[in-house]
Amino acid sequence: MLQDAAGAANARAVSKVDEAAVIRAVQGGDQDAFERLVRTYDQSVLRLAMNLLRSPEDARDVYQEAFLRVYRNIHTFRFDCSFHTWLYRIVTNICLDHLRKRKVRREEAAVIDTADGPVDRMDSFEEEGPHADPERRMWNNQLSGRIESALAGLTPRERMVFELRHYQGMRLRAIGDVLGTSEEAAKNCLFRATQKMRTVLGDLI
Amino acid sequence: MNCDDVIRAIPLYHYGELEPEVEEGVEDHVESCDSCRAALARQKALAVALDRHELAPPPELLAECRHELVRAIYREETPAVRRNASDPWGLFREAFRSMWHPGIRFAQPAGAVALVTLGFFAARFFPSISDQAPDAIVSSIRSVQPDNTGRVQIALDETRRRVISGRVEDQNIRRLLLAAAREQDNPGVRVESVGLLKDQCTSPDTRAVMLERLQNDPNPGVRLKALEGLKTFATDPEVRRTLAQVLLKDQNAGVRIQVIDLLITRQDAATAGVLQTLIGKEDNNYVRMRCQNALRDMNASVGTF
Repeated sequence: MLQDAAGAANARAVSKVDEAAVIRAVQGGDQDAFERLVRTYDQSVLRLAMNLLRSPEDARDVYQEAFLRVYRNIHTFRFDCSFHTWLYRIVTNICLDHLRKRKVRREEAAVIDTADGPVDRMDSFEEEGPHADPERRMWNNQLSGRIESALAGLTPRERMVFELRHYQGMRLRAIGDVLGTSEEAAKNCLFRATQKMRTVLGDLI
Repeated sequence: MNCDDVIRAIPLYHYGELEPEVEEGVEDHVESCDSCRAALARQKALAVALDRHELAPPPELLAECRHELVRAIYREETPAVRRNASDPWGLFREAFRSMWHPGIRFAQPAGAVALVTLGFFAARFFPSISDQAPDAIVSSIRSVQPDNTGRVQIALDETRRRVISGRVEDQNIRRLLLAAAREQDNPGVRVESVGLLKDQCTSPDTRAVMLERLQNDPNPGVRLKALEGLKTFATDPEVRRTLAQVLLKDQNAGVRIQVIDLLITRQDAATAGVLQTLIGKEDNNYVRMRCQNALRDMNASVGTF
């Protein structure tokens, strides 16, 4: 076990070294290195944006804007934090802007009118989990709608902290670094977020 | 810890964000308190429900985002990361990608860069083709010779870069492209030039270059481009002879597949014979399957007797 842990720690250290080399190559103008860097992180960035904004169009906008900012500003990255933290500062800022704008103009309707009647834009994206049994499916749909309202009831910052902790698995200290706040403030945010959700979903869970 | 403390600590406990001693306190309390145990169970149920609510972006969305990013980067006017225009492998990769991913508009900037590179050929083959001022002079020093008067004589080679632009149909441009298609040291320029010439194969000299590149170019990307150009001449006897030779000697399975597709546009005994010969020595299962299918369509036997 100890050997495994040491091996894993060593692998992480090596991969950090590799990443630093890739970043230096990008700073030196290596386009392939930039592509490697993007591909290391872009799935989790897209997943974060998709879950936060619940809209493929907005997630796509966040992806483009975030990686273009990285492309334009990579020369300013000085290794005083991890690249992950630096990237996520960019991504979370863009997502928070989207969430705040959305709060101002109120939540965009997930259901849009089409020639074939109203269609939920998110129906085309499979949620994880089984839905074979019709009763179970109905219950899941009800739960899904309530979760949607519960998430919509969070402030953009609470939503962000919750997403980063629950779905992205980041530690609260790292979340604090990304959001430019303390670990304690991130803890409070997470607590408020879960309390609000438990209140909204109380009778279903 | 009392119930209020534990209720407040439960979310952080669930996410493993408590100090070890506080965590132990929660566990001790929950063991003996039904209502706090129920609160912890609700927290777990909430987490499970939220897990099911997670959206996984479909792979097509990710692919689309990546393509759009590439396009957006090319549109950037002042990129921090600059493509090294003189890097032949970069050019090649770019052109090669554009062959397999027609959705990405790599070809346009690559074409522009190829035209810049063609400036070198212009200077070499057509010194009077343009009277534009050179945009760069690259020198290498051959010798340095001091003399008795304190002066020094330096011998240097100059390469004058010129940029020529024009339509592919223009005779001078076409001649440059024909020369560029054979440029030994730069596969990127060859891919781009052959790609630009592939619609000009009605001209015998262009067709001859295509056939020659198909047979001799070391780069499969160039050979595939040449094949594209020869598509409309797949029934021409000379083209078919070359295709048959290429099919039996080309090391690249992708090229062999394309050649099979062109050859079977005419289903005759000669084509069946070539395919039967290929099957006997082909080590790629997919190519062999294509051959077998083609022979079956032609009502020809798979083996030779």
